[in-house]
Amino acid sequence: MNEITITVNGKQVKGKAGSTVLEVCQANGIDIPTLCHLDGLSDVGACRMCVVEIAKERRPVPSCTYPARDGLVVQTHTEKLEKYRRQILELIFTEHNHFCMFCEKSGDCELQKLGYQYQMDNVRYSYALPSLSVDSLNEYFTIDHNRCILCGRCIRACREIAAVNTLDFGQRGWKTTVVADLNQPLGESSCLNCGPCVQACPTGAIFNKINLYKGVTEDCEQIATVCPDCGVGCELNVLVRDNNLIRIDAPDLTSTRGALCRMGRFELLEQTQSRVTSPLVRIKDCDFEECSLDSAAQRISAGLKETKDSFAGMVSTKLPSETLSMFHKFISDVIGSDSIDTPDGASYRIISEGIAKFAGKGKGLDIECSIEEIPGADCILVIGSDPETTNPVVGTLIRRAAGQGKAKLVTVHPSRDAFPLWTDLWLKPKAGSETALLNGLTKIILDKGLAKSGKADALKTSLNQCEISEVARTAGIDKETLEEAAEIYAQAERGIIIYGENLIANGGADAVAAILNLASITANQVGNSLRVVSLKSGANSRGAWELGLAKGIKQDKPKGLYLLLSDDTVDEKLLNRLKEIDFLVVQASYHSPVTAIADVVLPSPIWAEREGKYVDMSGRALEVKQVLEPGEGVLQDKEILMAVSQQMGKELVLR
Amino acid sequence: MAKVKVISAWLDACAGCHMSFLDIDEAIIGLADKIELLPTPITDFKEFTPADVGIIEGAISNEHDEEVAKQIRANCKILMVWGDCAVFGGIVSMRNLFSNEEVLDRYYSTESTTSNSKVPCSEELPPLVKVKPINQVVKVDCYVPGCPPSAKAILYALSELLEGRIPVLPSETMRYD
Repeated sequence: MNEITITVNGKQVKGKAGSTVLEVCQANGIDIPTLCHLDGLSDVGACRMCVVEIAKERRPVPSCTYPARDGLVVQTHTEKLEKYRRQILELIFTEHNHFCMFCEKSGDCELQKLGYQYQMDNVRYSYALPSLSVDSLNEYFTIDHNRCILCGRCIRACREIAAVNTLDFGQRGWKTTVVADLNQPLGESSCLNCGPCVQACPTGAIFNKINLYKGVTEDCEQIATVCPDCGVGCELNVLVRDNNLIRIDAPDLTSTRGALCRMGRFELLEQTQSRVTSPLVRIKDCDFEECSLDSAAQRISAGLKETKDSFAGMVSTKLPSETLSMFHKFISDVIGSDSIDTPDGASYRIISEGIAKFAGKGKGLDIECSIEEIPGADCILVIGSDPETTNPVVGTLIRRAAGQGKAKLVTVHPSRDAFPLWTDLWLKPKAGSETALLNGLTKIILDKGLAKSGKADALKTSLNQCEISEVARTAGIDKETLEEAAEIYAQAERGIIIYGENLIANGGADAVAAILNLASITANQVGNSLRVVSLKSGANSRGAWELGLAKGIKQDKPKGLYLLLSDDTVDEKLLNRLKEIDFLVVQASYHSPVTAIADVVLPSPIWAEREGKYVDMSGRALEVKQVLEPGEGVLQDKEILMAVSQQMGKELVLR
Repeated sequence: MAKVKVISAWLDACAGCHMSFLDIDEAIIGLADKIELLPTPITDFKEFTPADVGIIEGAISNEHDEEVAKQIRANCKILMVWGDCAVFGGIVSMRNLFSNEEVLDRYYSTESTTSNSKVPCSEELPPLVKVKPINQVVKVDCYVPGCPPSAKAILYALSELLEGRIPVLPSETMRYD
């Protein structure tokens, strides 16, 4: 990296070539006021607060967009500049409605802070105060255009962080406002509710609807933890005041996972479901009675005796590894069963079988690469998955790569293209033909001599029988389109394949193996891993699987089952299976259809009330911090498991 | 030394700024030795008399407000304004987003709690004007923003004036809320 030297306020300071004057000054501790600049976003020089005087420039220039070069002589705080800055503030304050007394953001507002800093105790201009709209149709946040200073940070966050491009400027001059799509209300627009715009807004123009007016940053404790809602493992900065959740921010907008999604930023704040706050036992068909932990344990002990030879355990992959290990031990040592699973365990067994088919035994999930590879990919093949629903931040990373034109995007789905504005080619195979399609793509690549790896020869033999015309018929896609897709993927240097639940459920291990085959002959590897990512729904799915909790339930229909669900949910399929169980123990945070069919219900903390470690889907170990004190009557999962063990005359110790 | 004479008025405002002045607690005893309150909302004299310092709380909202502001300005050497309404227009200036008819209709019909209420009509009632901060009508010498300004900010401003300086609130004392 080339080093440059510039002179700022008479002092020589060093910086990196390619930086802006603002960046060099900030790196050297010279504080220049800014409004439209935000770390992690590109700079546009909209607000002009950061103006500086540069020798030989005829007029002040915005330092955020001025490239620093060797020998520049810069003045940052002359009387003239400070006068201009105060004038700019007065103009901004008089343009729209910037009266602070009833604003949600008062105390957290960058415009207000600058007003104080510049001791702006009056304005010399008359107010424009146009009557602008307030858009409150979005589920999680409101845009009040009257509070907007048109800095464009939300627009750049929408484009560069979220990669959605919903927001932009509409109209011209005095009438300029931020608009969604073609001036639709936000709630009816292409907005994905991911919210970096909320975090980026320097004023009260965009603000959270949840926990409105409940506290500003200064009142809150900030705790770094990990999102519990999917396997991506986004880091969260949770703001808490008096044991209440106030807000969730991305700790670093510049990081790969700095985007967050609606689940991590907003849905985690909603605590509207009714909590389980005491052990409950079923007394009649649909009646429960509150009881002590001891008597609940006695009931479990009695139920266990009746169903002992056929008892299984199931545990949510939202739980940290420590709790998972303890549950594992509880089922094996205390209950005496080796029948254990996670709700997503079946996927794991299929993925493992697929990996074994491809690489022989002994290779684990390490064969997959990290999602960090997605933004740098030059081709992305999304098959049998819906990242926008299951792992929205993966969707963000895909859009970032495709939106900047770096990556060609090929989606494979019978009826729905998850990325309609970004997709280069959408293949619509008939349901169930995914494996044939994948093998067909591999075959085309082999036949055309586009394969890059030595494994190709072995594959050639095994795919000898594969006829492209037959594949085209099975999949319902014409041969030319298949060839186009194969060529797009094979010609990429860093093509990545992303698959998920649908492919696993429909195609099974053969489809997984077909993906690995396809990846192995074309794209360059990342270390020892192929450029393949399987989407995992649980925050600690990978941790749970690698700890051996997804062995599977041995019995077709176990008589008894202990479900440690915590604040997770179960799908309808699993719920129906659970309904057939004679004796069901559910340890859960919320009342739900599952607790309604249980024989014994035990309380459990929610995500914010527990701590431990997660292994995210890319294999990183992450620390989960406790953010809130558990509510009244709620014990930690391990305390409950220990108490139940004790009642059954066994001690639960973790080595 | 002669006491500094002070006159004050509240125009379109909630009285919060004068309340905040009373919140300076025991410091008011020390001030009482140095200042003399002539017509103010606290003393309740109606006619302004010449004074050293004039204080206005609240925005200009009708012709009467304009007249009072001009009278105070004419009677004082230094004019200080208190609170966001007087300084910036504040919450009352949001009325400017609507026409006078809409505002009166809302107040006397839509939101009224008495039946058959009519918009009062009398020559004695001053017509509404576009809401303005004080400095758009008369010259202002010093400003104490805040909604209301804290007792600390008000005391600071008065103390500075007594020391013969025109006060500018330090950043840490300044508030717009």
